[in-house]
Amino acid sequence: MAGLVLKGIAKSFGPVEVLRGIDLEVANGEFVVFVGPSGCGKSTLLRVIAGLEEVTSGTILIDGQDVTAERAAERGLAMVFQSYALYPHMSVYRNIAFALENMRLPREEIEARVRRAATMLRLTDYLDRKPGALSGGQRQRVAIGRAVVRDPKIFLFDEPLSNLDAELRVATRKELAGLHAEIGGTMIYVTHDQVEAMTLANRIVVLNKGRIEQVGTPLELYNRPANLFVAGFIGSPRMNLISGRVGPDGHFEMPGGALAQSGPFLPAGLAPGAEITLGIRPEHVLPAGGEAPDAILTVDLVEQLGSESYLYGTLPGGAALTLRSPLEDPARRGESLPVRFERHRLHVFDAAGLALRP
Amino acid sequence: MSETGPPPRAIPRESLASRLIQAVAGLLDRPMAWIQRAVGGRGMAYVFLAPNILFFGLFVFLPIGINMAMSLTGGTNLFLSERPFVGTDHYRSLMQCGSYLDPASCREDHFWKGVSNTLKFTLFQMVAMVGTALVTALVLNRKIRGRGFFRAVYFFPVLLSPVVVALIWKWILQRDGLLNGAITLVGGEKILFFVEPGWAMFWAVFVSVWAHMGFYTLILLAGLQAIPADLYEAAEMDGTKPMRVLTRITLPLLWPNLVVVLVLVLIKAVQTFDEVFVLTGGGPGTATLMVVQYIYETAFANQVQNFGLAAAASMLLGAVLFALTMLQLWIARRKAA
Ligand SMILES: Nc1ncnc2c1ncn2[C@@H]1O[C@H](COP(=O)(O)OP(=O)(O)OP(=O)(O)O)[C@@H](O)[C@H]1O
Ligand SMILES: [Mg+2]
Repeated sequence: MAGLVLKGIAKSFGPVEVLRGIDLEVANGEFVVFVGPSGCGKSTLLRVIAGLEEVTSGTILIDGQDVTAERAAERGLAMVFQSYALYPHMSVYRNIAFALENMRLPREEIEARVRRAATMLRLTDYLDRKPGALSGGQRQRVAIGRAVVRDPKIFLFDEPLSNLDAELRVATRKELAGLHAEIGGTMIYVTHDQVEAMTLANRIVVLNKGRIEQVGTPLELYNRPANLFVAGFIGSPRMNLISGRVGPDGHFEMPGGALAQSGPFLPAGLAPGAEITLGIRPEHVLPAGGEAPDAILTVDLVEQLGSESYLYGTLPGGAALTLRSPLEDPARRGESLPVRFERHRLHVFDAAGLALRP
Repeated sequence: MSETGPPPRAIPRESLASRLIQAVAGLLDRPMAWIQRAVGGRGMAYVFLAPNILFFGLFVFLPIGINMAMSLTGGTNLFLSERPFVGTDHYRSLMQCGSYLDPASCREDHFWKGVSNTLKFTLFQMVAMVGTALVTALVLNRKIRGRGFFRAVYFFPVLLSPVVVALIWKWILQRDGLLNGAITLVGGEKILFFVEPGWAMFWAVFVSVWAHMGFYTLILLAGLQAIPADLYEAAEMDGTKPMRVLTRITLPLLWPNLVVVLVLVLIKAVQTFDEVFVLTGGGPGTATLMVVQYIYETAFANQVQNFGLAAAASMLLGAVLFALTMLQLWIARRKAA
């Protein structure tokens, strides 16, 4: 187990800049998840940490030691590949034992460690099988077992669940959380599934175009996104984002008119006339009920999920708005629905896309 | 089914070419219909196979049959009708040996010398061929500069005729050849490569490896490239030393391809004739005389053309090749399963 420090990591493949100055500190025992859209450089960053890819510039410290020039084999990290990368000609036992044999550990110790990992991962019945004769979920557990036995300084996972079906993914996610609680290793985990990110992470790193957009606990990112990108990326369905400007008396003016006719709407302290983007999550837009509405929504589509429903509609100026309703049948298509915004849940972003926190 | 499909589109005016093809194909319609009526639907399969069966029959199976008949008849006449039946006499004289380990004690000492030489040659060649092809493939599989160039260079000799290859090397290796020229230039003594039995066998193996290695390298290279790159990355993460990666990952995963190459090399080596014959003529003496050369000389090159004996020898060689081919098919089928 060890901490990790990245200083100014940059990586280019020829003329293509994939990572552009990544600074990050991961504490010992922390579970950190990298999320970001496809092609943003998550895998590349993980491979750079692993030593499978050389940095173009920057420094990598593991436990305070500079390992930038070290090869993957010397860094003492373990990686679980998206493809699992199990050795097809070796039994499950040999697959798990392979790294230990490389370390020239005594036979009894190897055997003991493999058995312990196999028990933990419920693989004892399959130790003699070849990977080809295992299900996807079992292969996945072998891949994790191969990492666990080595007692590595840091565990690296590259989308380990993406080849599993939805149900197995949820089950394995829980197992991974349990594994982290049990062995407490430092874990770095790449995914583009934000449910995985939210549920597994101690901290989430949001990457975009080779840069870190924000680092924080899942709730920090959810409640206080630092910029428009994070606001739009974290949360599903995504946050409603409406562009407009600050009106007089703290109203929000958008092309179709002002939001909320009664009382000041926006948080105090915004310069009147400033171009802003207003953000509000679907769960923080409520049917107005008896209270004075902030806007009238024309409902375009209703999605019923059973426990709740999502309404997709349009505001008078043409801006799209999604809201979540706990009611099974809150409105019909084409209806006009008066809605209210939870004031303390409003997010405001300036013209550059940065969050304004007055 | 929907009742109201789109209205049938107007058939486009046929091009001249397509009408021409149809006209020509149309010529066959009548005879084909007639044949089908005569042989029935199942019989048509054989009608379509007939050209190939005929070809194989005429140029493969018929000669095998004639060869078999030749081996059972004697005399020096070419036509079977003029050859007296001798039964298994030829086979018996081929197998007549004081000791099979000593060709000189055999009645057909050249045949057994050929067998012994062919065995030696096959053994050396298999080791040398598979060894060099494997090393070359491993090197060419790495990210080295000019990889495409080297891949082509190693493959070119395969495209040359074996006779040309042998002539080129003969020119290099003969008494006043290029190599001896180079040796004298640096102050060494000329080596008579084709006079020393050891050297002659060495160069026979060397030249055939040089000529055919590219083909086997290509098979092994394809096998190497089929090994997923992430296995090597996993091995790297597992802290595996390069030698262990080779022995524990690369070679086991390449094994099926290696077996195929081994068997192919074996089958070709047993039949070796042209390169070695052109290079050494089987000499010095009979030091590089192969079984096929014995067959050739017995039938066509000796004073007395003993077709029967040669045919019997080639039947024996054919039996060995048949067994090896069965082995190859068995391995290929096991690999597919
Ligand atoms: N070996 C390479 N050579 C050239 N470009 C590369 C190489 N590897 C990755 N890239 C480029 O780097 C960028 C980031 O790739 P990376 O695999 O890190 O993305 P990612 O965030 O993991 O995406 P995904 O979610 O789809 O896995 C991509 O644009 C990709 O095309
Ligand atoms: Mg990736």
